[in-house]
Amino acid sequence: MNMLLQTVLVGVTIGALYGLVALGFGLIMGVMKFVNIAHGSFIIIGGYVAYWLFTLWNVDPYLSIPVVMCCMFVMGVVFFRLALSPLLKYPQAEMRMDKSLLVTFGVTWVLDNAVTMIWTPDTRSIMTSYAGSTLSILGGKIGLTGFLGLVVAVLMAALLHLLLSRTYFGKHVRAATEDSGAAALSGVNVRRTYLVSCGIAAALAGVSGVVIVSSYSIAPSSGLNWLLTAMVVIVLAGEGNMVWILPAGLILGLLQSLSTLFVSSAYQQPIALVVFILVLMFKPTGLFEREGT
Amino acid sequence: MLEISNLSSFHGDMQALWDVSMTVEDGRIVTLVGSNGAGKSTLMQSITGLVKPKVGSISFGDIRIDKLPTHRIVDAGICLVPEGRRLFPRMTVLENLEVGASVKAARKAREQTIDWVYEIFPILKTRSKQKAGALSGGEQQMLAIGRALMSKPKLLLIDEMSLGLSPLAAQTISQVIKRLNESARVAILLVEQDVQLALTMADRGYVMENGRIVGQGEAKKLLCSREITEAYLGMAE
Repeated sequence: MNMLLQTVLVGVTIGALYGLVALGFGLIMGVMKFVNIAHGSFIIIGGYVAYWLFTLWNVDPYLSIPVVMCCMFVMGVVFFRLALSPLLKYPQAEMRMDKSLLVTFGVTWVLDNAVTMIWTPDTRSIMTSYAGSTLSILGGKIGLTGFLGLVVAVLMAALLHLLLSRTYFGKHVRAATEDSGAAALSGVNVRRTYLVSCGIAAALAGVSGVVIVSSYSIAPSSGLNWLLTAMVVIVLAGEGNMVWILPAGLILGLLQSLSTLFVSSAYQQPIALVVFILVLMFKPTGLFEREGT
Repeated sequence: MLEISNLSSFHGDMQALWDVSMTVEDGRIVTLVGSNGAGKSTLMQSITGLVKPKVGSISFGDIRIDKLPTHRIVDAGICLVPEGRRLFPRMTVLENLEVGASVKAARKAREQTIDWVYEIFPILKTRSKQKAGALSGGEQQMLAIGRALMSKPKLLLIDEMSLGLSPLAAQTISQVIKRLNESARVAILLVEQDVQLALTMADRGYVMENGRIVGQGEAKKLLCSREITEAYLGMAE
């Protein structure tokens, strides 16, 4: 029983992080129909910024989140201007997916190498004073950093949801997601909506980088792994379905951690990919899409 | 008010409009008739900036709008109810209306405009919390017109007003349009497959064929003209 509880706790913690990792990726994909391969690089750059703030000025990583978000927002805006906005001339979603795949793959190449030059290829992580401490929940144990990551993930998902459902900007984003032409005809400045969404997506990637560098570790090459995770989560949630990204991440995390009760933990990654393929085969619109919506 | 001169537009490499000139005067209803593929929708898209014209100019009031992005054209006071309505199906009726009031001037008056639209289409008020995708065809067209009205347009373009609607719904909508024009002084440019209905509603009509304007005149005269009745009303002797 205790073993099961412990596994569930681990699954929820890692699952929330999976959801967080996927939020920004899903936003760009949903709103602009761009597949952003560079999302993984944004995640690790966010992590490195927090790492610098910690090692150079001793700023606690969770307190550095607002700073990291601002930096990454700017980076997302520049990224949109340079890499994505030239692709807006393709109106069809399929064309955008194809072209953006290539362009953002190139961006990933540049960013990952730049990161290697600046921070060396070594694996980095932040060792805070509370890194080893744990919390007891219902008799199960959970690492404090993991728990803080969970809190941050839920907070970010909730903030994004509020932004999308309550604000004018959010309604513009959702309108552009459904039909960008009709949004423009309603007076929405679609280009600016895209630009800001891209900034927000990069900021969210940065936040997940902070969580990763403080509970796990980062290296210039680890971006692609996180990108894969984000893709699996988005397929589970269904494209353009922002509300379900965090739950989808939790499902994936729980599946992976529960699988360790039956098979070796070495199979965690393959299990994620098997889920990815099965969902694509049998439920390509995502686990939560209802009929007729 | 709207002045189109010598306009040519392309879809990719295909020329869809050839040297089109037309005017819509303040507070008038103008209709554009012609068979499928004549270029009526392309003209509507060119006016609203969805298709950028290659040659010619479009001005509205004192401003030239043919180089502006779509949202700036909406800001200038032109709004299109697109063919197929193109609502935001996963958003509620109220949210669809709110998005309609995106330009600055309209944003301030949003609450009053919503009340105004609900007054015109009372059914939308009772459905305000429902998803737009769950509405019937007639209700969707009402919402599409309501959403366009949210931007407080001086000129309303309507592409295929009655397509896919029941005769009753089509009649209701055409009466609303007529009333809007009379009471709120909104100028209307109407594309409508039911040529007879369109010409009875309108003050002026333009006839399009193969991307060119081939005829124009007072709507009443067009309604009696032999070529029009033969070509579009199926009343050949």
